[in-house]
Amino acid sequence: MNEDKLIELVKQVVSEMTSTQKSDNPVMLEAVPSDSEEYVPDLSQVDFRKVLDIPHPANREEYLRVKAKTEARLGVWRTGPRYRTNTLLRFLSDHAAAMDAVFSDVSEEMLEEMGLFSVSSRCSSKDEHLTRPDLGRQFSEETIARFKAKLKPKAKVQIMVGDGLSSAAIEANLRDIIPAISQGLKMYGLEVGNIPFVKNCRVPAMDVIGDELEPEVVCMLIGERPGLVTAESMSAYIAYKPTVGMPEARRIVISNIHDGGTPAVEAGAHIAELIKTMLEKKTSGIVMGD
Amino acid sequence: MKEELLSVGIDMGTSTTQLIFSKLHIENMASSFTVPRVVITDKEVVFRSDICFTPMLADNRIDAVKIKHFVEEQYQKAGINKEDIQTGAVIITGETARKENANEALLTLSGFAGDFVVATAGPDLESIISAKGAGAHTYSKEHSTTIVNIDIGGGTSNLAVFSSADLLDTGCLDIGGRLIRVDQKSHQITYIAPKIKKLIALKGLDLSLGQQVSPADLQPVVLEMVHLLEESVGIRPQSEFYPEIITNKGLKLEQKIACISFSGGVADYIYNEAEGDMFRYGDIGILLGRAIAASALFTQMTVVRSVETIRATVVGAGSHTTEISGSTITYTEKSFPLKNIPILKLALADEAGVDPQLLAAAISEKLDWFKLDNDMQRVAIAIEGKKSLSFPEVQRYARGLLQGMAELIEREYPLIVIVQHDMAKVLGQTLYALLNYEKDVVCIDGVLVDNGDYIDIGKPIADGKVLPVVVKTLVFN
Amino acid sequence: MSMRLKTTLNGKTFQFRDIKDVLAKANEPKSGDRFQGIAAESVTERVAAKIVLSELTVGDLTENPIIPYELDEVTRVNIDGLNRHQYEAKKNMTIGQLREWILSHKTTQEDLIRSSRAFTGEVAAAVAKIMSAMDLVYGARKINVVTRCNTAIGQRGTLSFRCQTNSTTDDPETIVMGLMEGVSYGSGDACLGINPVEDNVESTRRIADGVYNFMSKNEIPTQVVVLSHMTTQMKAMEQGAPLSMIFQSIAGTQAANDNFGVNRKLVEEAYILAKQRGTSVGPNLLYFETGQGSEVSIGADLGVDEMTLEARTYGFGRYFNPFMVNNVSGFIGPETLYDGKEMIRANLEDHFMGKLMGLPMGMAPCFTNHTSITQDDQEMATMLLNTAGANFYMGVPVGDDVMLAYQDTSFHNDAALRELSRRKPAPEFHKWMMKRGLMDENGVLTELAGDGSIFLK
Repeated sequence: MNEDKLIELVKQVVSEMTSTQKSDNPVMLEAVPSDSEEYVPDLSQVDFRKVLDIPHPANREEYLRVKAKTEARLGVWRTGPRYRTNTLLRFLSDHAAAMDAVFSDVSEEMLEEMGLFSVSSRCSSKDEHLTRPDLGRQFSEETIARFKAKLKPKAKVQIMVGDGLSSAAIEANLRDIIPAISQGLKMYGLEVGNIPFVKNCRVPAMDVIGDELEPEVVCMLIGERPGLVTAESMSAYIAYKPTVGMPEARRIVISNIHDGGTPAVEAGAHIAELIKTMLEKKTSGIVMGD
Repeated sequence: MKEELLSVGIDMGTSTTQLIFSKLHIENMASSFTVPRVVITDKEVVFRSDICFTPMLADNRIDAVKIKHFVEEQYQKAGINKEDIQTGAVIITGETARKENANEALLTLSGFAGDFVVATAGPDLESIISAKGAGAHTYSKEHSTTIVNIDIGGGTSNLAVFSSADLLDTGCLDIGGRLIRVDQKSHQITYIAPKIKKLIALKGLDLSLGQQVSPADLQPVVLEMVHLLEESVGIRPQSEFYPEIITNKGLKLEQKIACISFSGGVADYIYNEAEGDMFRYGDIGILLGRAIAASALFTQMTVVRSVETIRATVVGAGSHTTEISGSTITYTEKSFPLKNIPILKLALADEAGVDPQLLAAAISEKLDWFKLDNDMQRVAIAIEGKKSLSFPEVQRYARGLLQGMAELIEREYPLIVIVQHDMAKVLGQTLYALLNYEKDVVCIDGVLVDNGDYIDIGKPIADGKVLPVVVKTLVFN
Repeated sequence: MSMRLKTTLNGKTFQFRDIKDVLAKANEPKSGDRFQGIAAESVTERVAAKIVLSELTVGDLTENPIIPYELDEVTRVNIDGLNRHQYEAKKNMTIGQLREWILSHKTTQEDLIRSSRAFTGEVAAAVAKIMSAMDLVYGARKINVVTRCNTAIGQRGTLSFRCQTNSTTDDPETIVMGLMEGVSYGSGDACLGINPVEDNVESTRRIADGVYNFMSKNEIPTQVVVLSHMTTQMKAMEQGAPLSMIFQSIAGTQAANDNFGVNRKLVEEAYILAKQRGTSVGPNLLYFETGQGSEVSIGADLGVDEMTLEARTYGFGRYFNPFMVNNVSGFIGPETLYDGKEMIRANLEDHFMGKLMGLPMGMAPCFTNHTSITQDDQEMATMLLNTAGANFYMGVPVGDDVMLAYQDTSFHNDAALRELSRRKPAPEFHKWMMKRGLMDENGVLTELAGDGSIFLK
């Protein structure tokens, strides 16, 4: 292809792009209800990384450029020494999302849809879950019997899901991450069997599965303690032949799985590869970051 | 994890040829608790060669044998084996690129630059590479400002504009230090480039081949050239001759440019005083440099001292051409490097709603553009992707891509997909699954490409996490 | 006379096993103690324990440390750090008498400072356990602790802040942008202190360089600290990282300190290194972080209540003359401090205990999102501690730390706290603020404050 042809091509593409941009705004249309006049605008939808509330900043462009790189609430301005009203209300709404993520349960519909079977840790309530981390990693004898009835012993891989400290994280990511992990594992000839969901679950609950069913690799998908930035962040803890009381260093974790971090689908593809590597090397001690 | 890539830059310019070696430091910047994020953290020039005049044969062809000899000598001097080179770029710039044996000359060097190198550069790429080598993009970032770098060589002036490290525009003018040559002894004019001849005629100046001249005699034409440079950056109204002097395109000048820097051989005489014989290089380079230093470019803009002058292009080629792909990617292909793959970038509208039919139709239609004599070339498909997408959307993307790329798949070409958003691993795995694991897939993200670009993809680095890529921007904008 | 660990109250008899048991049962309700199963089982039992505790002497609690001297380095450092003259003068006082002595009009600030090395952590905890909220505020208010690293903080009439603008990617650019905004609000006179995501020398150096460049370019009189592990900072300092002081989290048992990877020898080495390679004159060159519940959360509590362990932590830290001690009770979660009330009480206790032991106490009343604690609880704690005279707080953009995922004091809170208590920044920093036109002579922000981009011009 010669240069003239290329230029022509590029011009054509550029004109196509600019002509479609005007109407190409489907996300906004969906987000705003049709009768938008009746609604007070949804404060949680504002991307505050793109907003600078300082009335006369010395350098607006640079402020916005750096702000776009961080979730930190910068450039919010003030009234006297206090927050502007929008700053305060946004803080409260993000805190509300975070607390609701912790203090609510994963819906039964979601678990059914994904074909998960549901059990609980030894914690009998949310309150106990939050104040007794020791019970969140234990199961009753009946629950262990259910695991034994439902799960294949000595599987290559056992996936499990726990609410952890954010049910919202499970609701937001599970639908996308499970099929992505399954597809990735299939590529390596690995099958995903039944997946349990553990209510009031702490990470070391996976070690009990390790002891009772002796799978080679256990991968626990669990809701992270929410921050204000997102209540929907999930982590994957993966360990080779985990066992109760093992050092924490034997677990690999991939955190920050959510829309604004690593997308669930991409994380799932990555996790599948990690599991394969772990099976090949027969250890959790696969070098990750360094 | 820390790793180093040894990179070479070789620049065969209109007047000089030189090379540098640099080390690119690669590091995983992600925490141990998240997916990896491998980036280039530092670039360090470890060797600068001598500078030689680009050897030419009597018939005005490049003397490839002499160039090869020069390069060999420099490798020895640096104590570097050519097998150790992992990435880099050989570029032929300016008028040299238009010599009929340019490609042949490149071929003689290919073994020296590893097997993963840029081959040729158009004016846009030259502008970008030299400005980066001069440090203009870094300056614009560190000072949050707009800057134009003018790389003034023997034959052309390459312009690139950066705003806070983002490339805004490129341009190129036929203005350079060797467009008028003067015999060092007799001070007779031995050469005037065609466009400069026109300029001389237009301005009614009294200069012709063979004429014996003093620096003062040449001053009027040098001033005209400086005026054209002032016009090119928007501080002087454009004259009727301005369109004429443009090589391929000028700057759009949609916003005011605050700062200016200079590189190229002439730049040394912009930043520094000159004494002695003004014709000691047998050209008008020194005169042009001094005239620029006395011009409105210096009074009306903030002048920034570039970090490289005559070596800007070669440093740019050696240190600033290689990028790193995103760190969660898919490749089943083993035969890297993949070189000179043209990019087919879909329009945003083609991806709207992630409709497989629409995607497929757009790809197969646009693939036609890449047919030469009805023969399909290798093409990489580039898409924007989505920031957050569902698993069904990934499936739809994959189905659309495969259907649209059917013709490429038939040709047994590797399936190369470049996506901007972080989704290359899952998309690649999905493509591979849909192909029954029978066709090779290369799916990378984190690299910005556009129509008019070519891409080279090198051998995996950092434990196979990432692929180094060189994007060759043949047409910017 | 042997110790009396028995009493009757409200018609019931209470027999406590040992001092450890009395201290645990006398503690105000804390979920960490309930988690351990050592808390009082009734309100009456708690008060009975307080009564028994009030009759024990300073000597009883010092000579019967809850973890034996031979077995625990924290105990050893607590006791080795005592001044024998001061201790002898107070040793026969009962804890009840000690409370009255502290709160008496006759006891001056001078007296309190002079006696700060008379008490181990156990004694400080004991007296705080029989003090009400206002006692804790009133007692602490009398004690002023001034320290100097690069600049001095803690003078009466001043209130300082650590500007804490962490990044999820350790990106110096966003960190410094945050600092620019923070200092414009007057936050950052205690230090510009960043927690890195990655605990390694490269990240520590990269952040230190970025922060130091910002500080020196703008001639800001303060200190730079990067809160990686002590050994990481030491390596970075050896390689030339421009750190003003060295940070470390510390705890109240040797087992917990082992878990944190810290001991007396290491801290002593760090101090010497900071003296030789740090960028400050000192003499205070260390920064400690502490908080109730850290031991129980890692199973290194040895059955001791979390408040007593916290006081023992101060006895450990005191030995090394830190520039600042920051208390982050509330950071761990509801398994150690259940709700707003427990968090506020813990903060008042910690501030008082630390000041009584002569430490430059700063406070980070904070909360995570898996408790019922809210912003209001956090702000109430902050205002009470302001009345109590805390040396410093944190300053986080809108209180939301995006890296550590918890909420702390904000730039806005910093500015408001100064106005509420008519306190000013540390003197050198205050001068700098006025020079930059960001603050008036009374410590009130000007119209310019809040725009970080004035440093980008």
